[in-house]
Amino acid sequence: MIELLRVENLTKKFGELTAVDACSFTVKEGSITALIGPNGSGKTTVFNLITGYLPSDSGKVEFAGSSIRKQSPGSLYRKGLTRTFQQARVFADLTVQENLVVAGGGKWTNLFGRRITAEDQSRAAELLDEFKLSHVADLYASELSWGQRKLLEFASVLMSKPRLVLLDEPTAGVNPILIETMATHIRSYNAAGVTFLIVEHDMSFVMRVCDPVIVLDRGKTIAVGDPETVQSDPRVLDAYLGD
Amino acid sequence: MKLSKKGASPFFTRSGLMRGGVLIAVLIVMPQLFPQHWIWNMMFFTVLYAAMSVAWNLIGGFAGYPSLGHAAFFGIGAYATASIFKSSEILTNGWQPFFMLPLVGLGCAILALPIGYIAMRVRANIFAIVTITLLFVAQTLGYNLKSITGGAQGAGLSVAPFHLDIFEQPFYFAAATLLLFAMGIAYFITKTKLGMALTSIRADEDKARGVGVRTTGIKVITFAVSVGITGMAGGIWAYYLGFIYPQFAFDPLITIAIVLMTFLGGRATVWGPVLGAAILMPAQQLLAYYVGGSQIYLIAYAAIFLLIMLLLPRGILPTFLNKRRMDSMATKGDLSGTSTTPVTTGGSKS
Ligand SMILES: Nc1ncnc2c1ncn2[C@@H]1O[C@H](COP(=O)(O)OP(=O)(O)OP(=O)(O)O)[C@@H](O)[C@H]1O
Ligand SMILES: [Mg+2]
Repeated sequence: MIELLRVENLTKKFGELTAVDACSFTVKEGSITALIGPNGSGKTTVFNLITGYLPSDSGKVEFAGSSIRKQSPGSLYRKGLTRTFQQARVFADLTVQENLVVAGGGKWTNLFGRRITAEDQSRAAELLDEFKLSHVADLYASELSWGQRKLLEFASVLMSKPRLVLLDEPTAGVNPILIETMATHIRSYNAAGVTFLIVEHDMSFVMRVCDPVIVLDRGKTIAVGDPETVQSDPRVLDAYLGD
Repeated sequence: MKLSKKGASPFFTRSGLMRGGVLIAVLIVMPQLFPQHWIWNMMFFTVLYAAMSVAWNLIGGFAGYPSLGHAAFFGIGAYATASIFKSSEILTNGWQPFFMLPLVGLGCAILALPIGYIAMRVRANIFAIVTITLLFVAQTLGYNLKSITGGAQGAGLSVAPFHLDIFEQPFYFAAATLLLFAMGIAYFITKTKLGMALTSIRADEDKARGVGVRTTGIKVITFAVSVGITGMAGGIWAYYLGFIYPQFAFDPLITIAIVLMTFLGGRATVWGPVLGAAILMPAQQLLAYYVGGSQIYLIAYAAIFLLIMLLLPRGILPTFLNKRRMDSMATKGDLSGTSTTPVTTGGSKS
């Protein structure tokens, strides 16, 4: 397996606080990699740095072999790197179906084409069906439940057929049945060739779905390995239980 | 449980074409019913402000960037037209200035590209402040670039050589054409991916960037189109008055009026701003007509704005459409199992 994402000595300071501190790790193509760590250990900040939402102070980020530091979220999206947010972000004033279509990417000339083409519709219908959102396709996203929004956000980043998807706590605030649905989708898209990097607090979810697991503490990578090894690593226990 | 209709969303719907046809008929027939000059004058201003409100709505409504500086471009359009037509030699039959308007609009739009690019690096709220400064810069230039604007003494255009009995008519029809043009663009936006992209920018611009929406290009060009139309409106206005002063060409009240009209009728709709203008402009003119040339309407503006924000925060049209939507879904039982909260911008957790 080749390295799809390579993060090297990535650093980000917010004033005095070093949120990400010379952090290094890699994500292999075809894997479902977990990024875990105590609250405030810098996981979301790492996502923001990788996806171009925040400028990093120093370090390297490579995607599919080329440097992507200083690139905008939009150009990364077009290269196949997409993400979801810890607090699901969907477009409240668009319908569920439109939320998918607007994330479909494509050439800028498409802007002057029909709002929803037959092709958009069939592509969206596939995902809506898979994510059990067909019955709410014409509702505004603001009318969805929290869990449905998480599903919708996940589905919408798949519209562009990405290579690497970063999920920030996909199961937070989602009911147990939807959590299972989420796990199923991740596995099936992974089987179809999509690589995942997942920030997750639910350890049983991580155990069942992810391998390998990267552990972050105070902005540094402190352990990498398969779920069992990592869970029994004393440094990891220390990070979670210590001070 | 209704699935989306199969097939692509159409460009032209029968109801859309019908509404457009009715509007054109009304615009042509309405003024014929009234010979009085003051009514023609009122209808001219109503249609002119409707065009500007529709234009403002493109950026302030659809994209959610509330510009408070549109009057700057109104004034620039007015003075551009004034400087082109200072000399009466160009005028033979009086219609030429109208055909020059697209150039004035294009000039305003091109000028707006760098301005928009810089001003739109900040988010919506700060954008409002940045654009209001733009208005005062333009106003100051209006007073001080005496060679172009004549300063506080004003600038004269040659009087349009239309017969006095029908003097207002050419201006009215020019404004009506501009209104139809602006509405055509608004309609086009609602029917294309551009409209979805603008809505996504309004709803959550950072998220939109992250799903590949070309936010910068889209909002800057929309801003340019919006102020291009506003500049053309300024051109028609200048030619109509024949003599313009910086005080009135760069008047913050112009911006306030079109913002209010858009908010009243309904942001991010094709018809909302037209509805708002059709209510507010005649009301303002009638008030002036019956109460005298006082500034009472300013107090009325403030009161109306408060009332809208309190009672109809989304404007007349969206409130009505949403109610109809809720009713139809309730009868179809579409909402079973999901929240029944009305649609809100921002979309709270349900
Ligand atoms: N924009 C910001 N400005 C200042 N400080 C920030 C900013 N974003 C994050 N931080 C701080 O950086 C540290 C890391 O935050 P981050 O959100 O990356 O943690 P996390 O691992 O995602 O936590 P959680 O598990 O709670 O989501 C925290 O101390 C946080 O307060
Ligand atoms: Mg986080």
